[in-house]
Amino acid sequence: MSTPARLEWQTRVVERLVEADVGVAAFVPDSRLNGILTGLAERGVLLRSLTREEECVAYAAGQRIAGGRAVVLMQSSGLGNALNALGSLAVPYRLGLPLVVSMRGTLGETNPSQVPIGRATTALLAALGIQSFPLRRAEDADAVVGGVVDMAFEGGETAAVLLDPELGGGREGH
Amino acid sequence: MKATDVVRVVVETLPRATLVSSLGTATSAVRSVTDDGPHLYFGAAMGSTMAAALGLAEAVPDREVVAVIGDGDFLMGASALWSLSACRPTNLLVVVLADGTYTITGAQPISVPLRVEGVCSALDGLSGAAVVACDELADALARLPRPAVVEAAVTASAWPGPSPFVDPAEVVRNLRRSLGR
Repeated sequence: MSTPARLEWQTRVVERLVEADVGVAAFVPDSRLNGILTGLAERGVLLRSLTREEECVAYAAGQRIAGGRAVVLMQSSGLGNALNALGSLAVPYRLGLPLVVSMRGTLGETNPSQVPIGRATTALLAALGIQSFPLRRAEDADAVVGGVVDMAFEGGETAAVLLDPELGGGREGH
Repeated sequence: MKATDVVRVVVETLPRATLVSSLGTATSAVRSVTDDGPHLYFGAAMGSTMAAALGLAEAVPDREVVAVIGDGDFLMGASALWSLSACRPTNLLVVVLADGTYTITGAQPISVPLRVEGVCSALDGLSGAAVVACDELADALARLPRPAVVEAAVTASAWPGPSPFVDPAEVVRNLRRSLGR
């Protein structure tokens, strides 16, 4: 995975996940996630690039049931692929998964096909009882990421950080 | 073989294994054979069983994990085979209860043979087998390098045991206690 210089917000997200003792990150690739994933790998976190977002949720559920500290990273367009595993496994079994969702289809989106799921991401998660929290500024990363991992690992509540476009680091304009 | 025959061979051959069962006959058969033992029973989330077993296997490398899944569930989550090929956990086995139908929804036929052995042989790092009898299954469980996927032909159509609609909280509590978590 090619990586430009890591952005400040990406560094802060990595630091907070490492501080939470995350041991494995299951993901489907996205440009905005690259800096986070390479940062986690540098800190010894196991990366698992799986074929579908649904697999990532199920993989992390299997980890969490054995006490593993797993995080799931995906693009918002992949949330549609993950809904069944979230709603029928992670939530009813109260396995507490922290989700990091890179947003498409919102501010500045130029691909019409990304818009419907991006527009619906918060509502889709909320309909399953999953709270989500937008991250728009690097200085908020510690509070937002820390809050989500605490909800997940300590409270058993699956919760999501939404990486909004204002952060930068995506393939802006594409 | 009946679904319970398959699970019985798994339990007798690998008595310390933690099982992960998909919704339907698989969960029902595992509940029946193990007397509701401490395993990960899926009550829904069709297509996610193999991936969950992969995550569990990597979290408990000192314990064998066996995913017992229906053929319908297998097809819904078949992309996980490529993830198994990539991750290659040496403590993971998948046993597919192949009765050729979506049993829990009314036994609608599955429209294509699984060909598990051929698919697995085409992927890096996976071994596969197709078995039709209990002794063949026991032999496959003993000899196949892990990760492995075994297609076990199920010919008896009787529902194997109790309801697959499990209490998630109880499943998690019992499994964590069994794993010492």
